[in-house]
Amino acid sequence: MIGVVPRACARAMLVLFAVAVGVFLVTDVLPGDAALARTRGGAGAAELARLRAESGMDGPVWERFARWGWALLRGDAGTSLLNDRPVSTLIGERLPATLTLAACALVVAVPLLLALSWWAGGRAARSYGGGALAAVAAIPQVVVAAGAVAVFSGLLGWLPRVSLLPIGAPPWHDPALLVLPALSLALPAAAYGAGLLSGAVADVRALPHVDDAVLRGIPRWRIATRHALPLLWAPAIRVVAVIAGGLIAATTVVETVFGYTGLGELLVSSVASRDVPVVQAVALLGAVVVVTGGAVADLARGIRA
Amino acid sequence: MRRILVVAAVLGAVVALAVLGGLFAPHDPSTVVGPPYSAPGEAGLLGTDGLGRDVLSRVLAGGSDLVLVSLLAALIATTTGVAGGLLAGWSDGWTARTLTSSADVLLAAPQLLIALVAAVALPGPAAVVIATVCGGTPLTLRVVRDATRLTRGAGFVEAARCRGERGPVLLAREVLPSLSGLVTADAGMRFVMAIQLASALSLLGFGTQPPQADWALMIRENLPGSGLNAAGVLAPALVLAVVAGAMAATAAHAGRRTNTGRQA
Repeated sequence: MIGVVPRACARAMLVLFAVAVGVFLVTDVLPGDAALARTRGGAGAAELARLRAESGMDGPVWERFARWGWALLRGDAGTSLLNDRPVSTLIGERLPATLTLAACALVVAVPLLLALSWWAGGRAARSYGGGALAAVAAIPQVVVAAGAVAVFSGLLGWLPRVSLLPIGAPPWHDPALLVLPALSLALPAAAYGAGLLSGAVADVRALPHVDDAVLRGIPRWRIATRHALPLLWAPAIRVVAVIAGGLIAATTVVETVFGYTGLGELLVSSVASRDVPVVQAVALLGAVVVVTGGAVADLARGIRA
Repeated sequence: MRRILVVAAVLGAVVALAVLGGLFAPHDPSTVVGPPYSAPGEAGLLGTDGLGRDVLSRVLAGGSDLVLVSLLAALIATTTGVAGGLLAGWSDGWTARTLTSSADVLLAAPQLLIALVAAVALPGPAAVVIATVCGGTPLTLRVVRDATRLTRGAGFVEAARCRGERGPVLLAREVLPSLSGLVTADAGMRFVMAIQLASALSLLGFGTQPPQADWALMIRENLPGSGLNAAGVLAPALVLAVVAGAMAATAAHAGRRTNTGRQA
């Protein structure tokens, strides 16, 4: 019997390696490499072949993958094909903005998720609670973000329509910029998570000791926090981990709608300009978050409340 | 059976409305009918977009491609996932382990990246189908695998086995029908997933290209004018929300279990 922690870590490592291979193979499809970028398209085929041979870019896929992976392990994510700046610098400039946005979204989403799942797991909402949550969670991220813009800045004019953040400026230098993006991220995520958690909540609320507490007339919020929550830690952590992974993709859409310069926007513009090294690094970073979330979820499954 | 009919009815209504909507458009979706960003009532029932085209006509005409592509993607993803799930749940050992591990890896793969790269390398609709299959099939596979495991030892399957039925026949005749509600619900969820993906791609500029009428693309195009004519954004947003929400609610209804032994 191997311990829970080493097993979860080993699994995460394996999955991450497989995903890294996948990311490399997928981005390999993108036309464009350093040789093309360096010559700005103004070189003949012979010249390109010579350049590629010089830097080992004409080797077999596994060899290029090994070189890329080895460089990554040493902390070198390569340089952007567009402007020759190190990829790690580009990511470092954008990371705080996206992290702040995702953190704000989680701060809103987690309490909302717990409250919604408590409602959906109760007897009153049995018949339609799940459907209502599923419907809200299904609303495309585009709709939530654009709807928020159209209502709060278009119709009412309360908040800025775009969240233009100077690149490199701290994201908290104007909190008003974060309100709409964070809310647009949090609402669908909370509905989705509550839908996942409501089954476990329903099971816990049907337990004898919770029923007993209800009959003894203990206030409802105390039942929720004292009697039910301790039994729900593991599934709740699991659900939050799943949501955190989902936020990564969702930020891309939200950042585009609001013109917020974060990692998602960097990924989209790099794919558009075929800047392969940047795409690889950002995608892998996203995968690390998702896999870490999965590992945390595995560990939570191992916790016996 | 009734639940499946309900899902089929809602899906049929959504597809019919999206595909036939263009027939009811008062104007051609690509002709200019008034000044840019006219408010509702000034030109057309819902005003005009940034180029002066009729928003109502574009909303009516802008759903058919999106809905049909999403339907195709959902069918492919669900079929693949059900086949894999039945196999992984029925067999033991190496096959089941391989299928489950590949599903885990696919689940961890960044779906949006796959969609973006596919959109660059392939024609538009292919990207939605590929990304839905990559992100959706593993989810279907897991659900169907677990349900198959539970059904494997059930009385009616045992009885059929004692009658001398063999594996494939058992799966097709006994196990699959017992999972019909689950599979229908899953297909509905894959449809929603495909709609979400397709709309995200169009918004990011990798999906439908202008001047095509498409709900997500309309949102992108009309966002700058939301102060002048909010209907240009709100109308397509509302239609998208209703289509996805109705489908998801129906799927949740079809997949609901009567017992409380669910796991988060």
